[in-house]
Amino acid sequence: MAHIHLEDGSFTLFWACVWWAIALILISAALLWVRSGKKIDNRRITLAAFCTAAAFAVFQVSIPIFGGIHLNLTPLIGILIGPAFGSFVVLITNILSAAIGHGGWGMIGANLLVNIIEVIVAYVLFRVLKKIFPGPFARGGIATLAGLFCGNLAMIAIIIISGVQGFTQTPSQILGGLVLIAGVNMGFAFIEAGISAMIISYIIRVRPDMLESERS
Amino acid sequence: MKTLSDHIPDLNLITYYAENQRSWFSGMSPWTKFILLILVILMVTLTSDSIILIGLYLVILGAYTSAHLPVRKLFAWYILPALFVLSLVGIMAWNEPGITIISFSIGKIPFILTDRGILLVLGLLLKALTVVTYSLFFLMTTRYQHFAAMICHIFPYPVDQIFLMAYRFLFLTLAMIDSILKAVNSRGGGVIHSIRKQGRMFAEVFALVFIRSFERSERVHKAMIARGFSGSYSTTVEVPALTLYDYLIVGAGAAIVIAVAIK
Repeated sequence: MAHIHLEDGSFTLFWACVWWAIALILISAALLWVRSGKKIDNRRITLAAFCTAAAFAVFQVSIPIFGGIHLNLTPLIGILIGPAFGSFVVLITNILSAAIGHGGWGMIGANLLVNIIEVIVAYVLFRVLKKIFPGPFARGGIATLAGLFCGNLAMIAIIIISGVQGFTQTPSQILGGLVLIAGVNMGFAFIEAGISAMIISYIIRVRPDMLESERS
Repeated sequence: MKTLSDHIPDLNLITYYAENQRSWFSGMSPWTKFILLILVILMVTLTSDSIILIGLYLVILGAYTSAHLPVRKLFAWYILPALFVLSLVGIMAWNEPGITIISFSIGKIPFILTDRGILLVLGLLLKALTVVTYSLFFLMTTRYQHFAAMICHIFPYPVDQIFLMAYRFLFLTLAMIDSILKAVNSRGGGVIHSIRKQGRMFAEVFALVFIRSFERSERVHKAMIARGFSGSYSTTVEVPALTLYDYLIVGAGAAIVIAVAIK
């Protein structure tokens, strides 16, 4: 998963506000989009709430691979409930995570950008690739992997642009360290893509009506 | 919940303290605690002065302790933010200028850890622990009904609805995951046989969580409609307003942050 592993005080106030502002603009756009249509289906609100609870709970399970990893399944959320409701889900998940110390409050804006990118890329690719890969396993895996890859790129870009307070390294020196982290993240991303692909295949077998990207 | 990660704060315990704890802090307006959270975040963002940061941390830890909240648990929960800081900043700390503590090279790439690099990591760690301690203090001294009312005030529709329902269902979902993992463990799961086997097993666990959540959401939605749910999950409780003491605390906090910003 791509989640900026920085706590409060890492970014300057200016950059924390900039990422928060961009994230709020995206959330506002999602709100406008959702409200612009016909009346919001209460069933979708309930489903999004359960997805938030499930995503946050799954996020807390330590998988005993490589010493223990956590998944956040943001691409899966995008595939399941679409980009607009997916954005609301990642907003709430990030707030709940910050409340227990998994990421800073000031970092929510930056983390939201990373997660919204993951949600959108996974959702779009899962739909677009349907003609090439009719089977859900390969399509789900590729969409998840691409979503996480783009999330990693966003994470690197955000940290390089913002810098970390107190550190005197040049952007190229920071990039060296970040590439190492992104490489580890992508190793985990393959595992998450495999697990997400299995989940999607399982859901399509058992409850195909669950998938927003398959319904519309 | 042994099967879940041990270093992640126990939401059931946090809720227990929030609902049953009766210290002076639990009587304080939740809005005051919320504004103080923003001020604490501003403070750690605006300053890197170690004396100010240590002072702020000790004040918050003192408030946490005097509210009779579990201190040993708090230190165990510090593992999560500490790992966060070390996983990224711990790597970036290498090759900072300063007095060399450790140095080696891999191929032609030098790795130098200096006193300044270590101090930067410790500074960020202190900032992280300060905010986490305050966040948990806020959670454990504020009743759920007040949080719910605050969510309704802060977030627009339908985000507030999703948030309120998600918080309510979180405990059910955590209990469901715990029971599924216990069932898996009872069949010999949970030990690494191979990544493929382990991955498939956890995929099925997670898929089951999503499917059960989906089915439960359908059942809950139907039950709510039967009880007259019209699309708005409203709260009837008002968040206690700020008193004179609250204004004084917030004013003093804001003055300190402004003084630190100007310094």
